[in-house]
Amino acid sequence: MLHAASLVLDDLPSMDNARRRRGRPALHLVHGIATAELAAVALIARAFELVAQAPRTPAGTRAQIVEELSRAIGSEGCCAGQAADLAADPSSLTLEDLEAIHSRKTGALFVAAVRGGALAGGAREQTLEALTLYARNLGLAFQITDDLLDLSGDPERMGKDTRRDAHRANFATLFGEGPSRRLVEELLEASLAALAPLGKKAAVLADLARVVRDRKR
Amino acid sequence: MSRAGPPLPPAAGGNGGSPPADSSVGRDRRSHLAERAADRGEGAAGARTPLSLDEARRRLRELGYLNGGVERFVFRRAFAGRGGLFLPAILLGAFAAAVASLAAVETAEAGFGDSATAVLALLVHLFLADLVAAALLALALLFIADRSRSPAGAATAAGLCAAGLAFFLWIGGAYGLSHDIPARALLWGAPVGLAALLAARSVRSGFLARAYAHSRVLPSRRRPRVFFAAAVAGILLAVAIFTSRARPSPAPPPLPSPRGSAVAVVAVDGLALDSAAADGLSGVRELLATGATGWWPATQASPPEVWTDLATGEPASRHAVRALARVRPRGSPLGLRPPLGTAWYLRRLGPALRLVSSAPVSASDRRSLAFWEVAASAGLPSVAVGWWASGPWPGVEVVGNEEVLAGASDGISADRRAIDALRLRRRGGPQVATVYLPGLDILRGDPAGSERRRQAIEQVHRFLEDEVSRAVAGEETLVVLAGDSHAAPFSLGRMVVFDGRQPVKTLRIRPEDVAPSILARAGVPVAADLPGRPVAALFRPGGLEGGTVATYGPRVAPVGSRAAATDREYLEKLKSLGYLR
Repeated sequence: MLHAASLVLDDLPSMDNARRRRGRPALHLVHGIATAELAAVALIARAFELVAQAPRTPAGTRAQIVEELSRAIGSEGCCAGQAADLAADPSSLTLEDLEAIHSRKTGALFVAAVRGGALAGGAREQTLEALTLYARNLGLAFQITDDLLDLSGDPERMGKDTRRDAHRANFATLFGEGPSRRLVEELLEASLAALAPLGKKAAVLADLARVVRDRKR
Repeated sequence: MSRAGPPLPPAAGGNGGSPPADSSVGRDRRSHLAERAADRGEGAAGARTPLSLDEARRRLRELGYLNGGVERFVFRRAFAGRGGLFLPAILLGAFAAAVASLAAVETAEAGFGDSATAVLALLVHLFLADLVAAALLALALLFIADRSRSPAGAATAAGLCAAGLAFFLWIGGAYGLSHDIPARALLWGAPVGLAALLAARSVRSGFLARAYAHSRVLPSRRRPRVFFAAAVAGILLAVAIFTSRARPSPAPPPLPSPRGSAVAVVAVDGLALDSAAADGLSGVRELLATGATGWWPATQASPPEVWTDLATGEPASRHAVRALARVRPRGSPLGLRPPLGTAWYLRRLGPALRLVSSAPVSASDRRSLAFWEVAASAGLPSVAVGWWASGPWPGVEVVGNEEVLAGASDGISADRRAIDALRLRRRGGPQVATVYLPGLDILRGDPAGSERRRQAIEQVHRFLEDEVSRAVAGEETLVVLAGDSHAAPFSLGRMVVFDGRQPVKTLRIRPEDVAPSILARAGVPVAADLPGRPVAALFRPGGLEGGTVATYGPRVAPVGSRAAATDREYLEKLKSLGYLR
């Protein structure tokens, strides 16, 4: 829900002004900007409501999950990343600037999703640390893949506009296409390595990393 | 908003904590990095030259991605300044050393592996001992790691050393403990190799972690196959070395020659004929002077070693009898020689930990056949009384050393019991009869001329006179072995032969010539692989068997399970008679 809300907001004319999302017209083009904004806020509120009502989860854990999610989407997460992205001067962005933007816009939600699940499962600090590393590397790999797909992907298959970031700084333009693909591989290797201490318990997360590697849209 | 939780993952340069990615520290560093990048005129998007892959990797690692983050996680304890990853290295290193030493022992001690309890007890015991050594080595590694400028190479070298040490303990231990290495020894290659591999990897990881905590330098690439290759090389080396010492197939028993004679062998320990305080021995000296004497420079060693050298014709490195007492892991049917470097620990601390106990020397320790066993294998009935490390053998009536000493209160009674036991068993007319008299050695602490010593010498003298009379009468060939296992410098060991009426003569021989000479006189072909040769000059002309066989083979006997209580009594008796403290 939080991810969906972030996409709705990201597509608004005041943001990325995207026309298509998931193969269909962007929400604000169908229902109007005001409705899209309200829908995003409603999705965020519903997400927190569900966490607050989570059955068989101690209150303290629910509070921790709320804190994780708040941080991921708030002034330390998506909002901060989006603001930095909008304010950035593409001609002077460094790798570190890009990382700072994407670790908030993308990575923060990856981290929150993984840590939230782990917290609900009663994971210990060491496990949380491993999962954080996993999510962080995976998030960056996902973002670079996204940049590569934006450069060369098929809009029909991807279900959204492509080459919208061509004029903007991204990892693909910063490194070049070949090295970027290599970096994606290495980031995914690092994410899988972080899962190693968890053994077979983390098999689903490992599969997810492979999905990111093989994604075409 | 609270920052108490660990929101975004740690960036490089922390000390094990997880500062938020957008914390002031993170922001400052990013600004700093950006400034540096700007100073270099690189890194910006747009029309700028793309970053090189290596540069991108480096900068992403600094931000906590790639292995920068993962290795931080793996090396977390080391980063926290505790060097904690050396603990697995110490544990695995000690385990590898224990497994390697255990493999060496199991290879050398036939029958030891049959008892799982004993194997486990020894493994635990060796592991505890090796922990100390591993901890000391880890301290040295910490010192080196803290100063290493090239941690990758040094860490790999440290890992290789750990693996090499494990293989050294296995191969060197088996080589040192066993003259003939059975093929089954190679089965230990898998566990030793695996343990060495684990130890090597953990040492490398620990070293890297420690070095990184100081230098922040990590290896640029992994070398996963180095240790595997080392383990394979170690196993191949073991195959080469063990094969060179492969246990020969059992030799067919030698066939005796009709020219053989009945032989009596009297071994007298403590007969220090060269001692300045040997006045009471003048009668014995005069008696022995009537025989043909071969002599050799005496050496100091434990009584079992000295006399087993003579009985087998082989050195201790082959017959394996050295000390009066060995260590026996709990549950083991037999005592063991301590593997490389563990003797002091096993003997001194082992009993205190109750994982091992002392075991007296026994026949199962001996790897070479004594002359009476060879004779019996050739079909000659034999009697052996009182010899160290003697035990049941087909065709031999054996009265063991422990049996002789059991009822003895001093050297006099020990000799009397041995002489009586020989006389009792000699009635069947054995072809080879031998007795070991320990009395004079037991009484070595008595002053020369003391009443007890005088009585003991007199008893030996009378017995020898009887034996010499029999020999001179042609009833048998008598060989008197006079030696002293606590020999003074420049004293001699002697083999005095009474073979009918022979001219008196004296010549130098080697102690390893004794057993072949006795066997040849009994008509048994001598094994070509024995280091000694029969000394024909000391015997009746033409009286020695001239034929040879390739080998007598090793002494492979069923493992005797002597009761622990019997062992305790034997040890106590050895202590009371002054052999052990």
